[in-house]
Amino acid sequence: MTARLARLLGLRVRNQFLDWASSWTFAATLAVNYAIGPLIGLVVWTAVLPGDRNTVNYFVALVGVYLVTASFEDYTFSEAVYDGRISHDLLKPQPVIIGPAGENIAIRLWLGLFGLPLTIVVAIVAGASYRPSALLLAVPALLGAAIVRFLWTWLLALTAFWTERVHAIVAFSHILAYLLGGTAAPIADLPEPWRWIALALPFYAMLGLPADIATGAPVGAGYLLLLGWGSLFAGLAAVVWRRGIRRYSVVGA
Amino acid sequence: MDVTAVVVDDLTMTYRVPVREAGLAAAFKSVLHRRFRDVHAVRGVSFEVAAGEVVGFIGPNGAGKTTTMKMMSGLLHPTGGDVKVLGHTPWRRQTPFLKQIALVRGSQPTGGQQELTLLDSLLYQKVLYEIPGAEYLRTLDELVVMLELEPLLDRQLRALSLGEKMRAGLALSLLYRPRVLFLDEPTLGLDVSAAAAIRRFLAAYAAETGAAILLTSHYMADVESLCRRLILIDHGSVRYDGPRERLAVRLAPCKIIRITAPSATMWDFLDVAEVVAAHDDIWELRVPRDQVAEVTSTLLRAIDVVDLSVEEPALEAVIDLAYREGV
Repeated sequence: MTARLARLLGLRVRNQFLDWASSWTFAATLAVNYAIGPLIGLVVWTAVLPGDRNTVNYFVALVGVYLVTASFEDYTFSEAVYDGRISHDLLKPQPVIIGPAGENIAIRLWLGLFGLPLTIVVAIVAGASYRPSALLLAVPALLGAAIVRFLWTWLLALTAFWTERVHAIVAFSHILAYLLGGTAAPIADLPEPWRWIALALPFYAMLGLPADIATGAPVGAGYLLLLGWGSLFAGLAAVVWRRGIRRYSVVGA
Repeated sequence: MDVTAVVVDDLTMTYRVPVREAGLAAAFKSVLHRRFRDVHAVRGVSFEVAAGEVVGFIGPNGAGKTTTMKMMSGLLHPTGGDVKVLGHTPWRRQTPFLKQIALVRGSQPTGGQQELTLLDSLLYQKVLYEIPGAEYLRTLDELVVMLELEPLLDRQLRALSLGEKMRAGLALSLLYRPRVLFLDEPTLGLDVSAAAAIRRFLAAYAAETGAAILLTSHYMADVESLCRRLILIDHGSVRYDGPRERLAVRLAPCKIIRITAPSATMWDFLDVAEVVAAHDDIWELRVPRDQVAEVTSTLLRAIDVVDLSVEEPALEAVIDLAYREGV
């Protein structure tokens, strides 16, 4: 069963990757667009704290985190709900999440294709350097953050069954993630009570946490935090999906 | 052995749709206070389809055909009633159910990734539906011949013409040999030859596999060539369910007598029958069903007739009558 699901997901990723081949220029602009936030943070905070290697390392790592965790389910999944294209997936003998998950991974691969060289160039120019052991510890956190961010965005995208304002909802979530996820400022540098608020919300786990671990911060409860948010969002997404699909009407499509 | 493939029982679907008046003020007002209206798309529809049966599911636009099909294929949850397809409740969308049905829509014949070639998409179907290698190759060979797919296999789906997409969509849907096939306007937008090819293929598929087929179409040629039984739905309710021929009997109280009579004039038919068309010495007369024999006899005595035939009115005319005046 698991092997079949893995195979189906792999095939879906491959198909979606090929499908995006015609939009590679768009993928390139998306990669740049996604890197802009952390790059601005890098420029601003190196000006504020000149010579602080940790800040440089953190924001360069954050560029990579942004590209690996990018999620666009409000454009991919929600639009398919609105125009009825999701019907094709509903008729397939496989869990529907294979579709959005496969497309998510495929888009991230395209972003990585353009974003990885960009990250390396930025790292060289900014003089970032990492301990291999810290990078190794950051890998599971990065994978966890990728899953949590996908599940969070998909959860919001599922509101397409109730509202036509999914893009506004997800855009608001992006703003919160920018402010409280460690992009506008590293969480450790936030004043009280914002630091605690940021730690209590899921955005830090999606963005700042893997970057912090890559720069050598102690893992602490980081993995548990990712596991907790991931489990919560997976459970919520399952409930919302079951309720949402009962409302799916796709009149006229 | 149960030969009933589809059981639809008192099926009902009511949509709640947003409404607002025209104008900027109404648009702003609707942001704060949205108003809705119930649209009763399907009301208490019941019927059964046996395995191997090809049924025409017809009705005017907005009658509820597509909504009913979407519920039968598991896309929509009904507001009320029940459906069983091969013993499964469709909207649970269990894998054994999904592996045995197909919904092909003329408006969207090929879903999924349009950049893939047809062969890539067929291979994806093979994995998805767990088709054994030998069976896949055998079915693919058959489909390639029957649907003339050879020149399409290495082409991307997005680059196919409408007719080619329909053939590709059928191949993708029939590769796993579904036992129940829902066809929603399968010849939509196709030229005469392409539509005829699709019809020939569907007839052969039904005969060969014994699949139950439910077909909606606005083209009477589809219905006439494929369906012995018709279900006519209008305003969400079933208005007729029975043999195709009997719909004409029920709806059209007249038959058409077509005679070839070079020497006849309009005066010869006065007080005998209503002339509905005349061209090239051929006369078409509308005659009440119970007077066909008498009128035929009168005409043969009174006029020099070269040829004569008695026909049912064209199905298209009958359906048109049903849509306009109800059954």
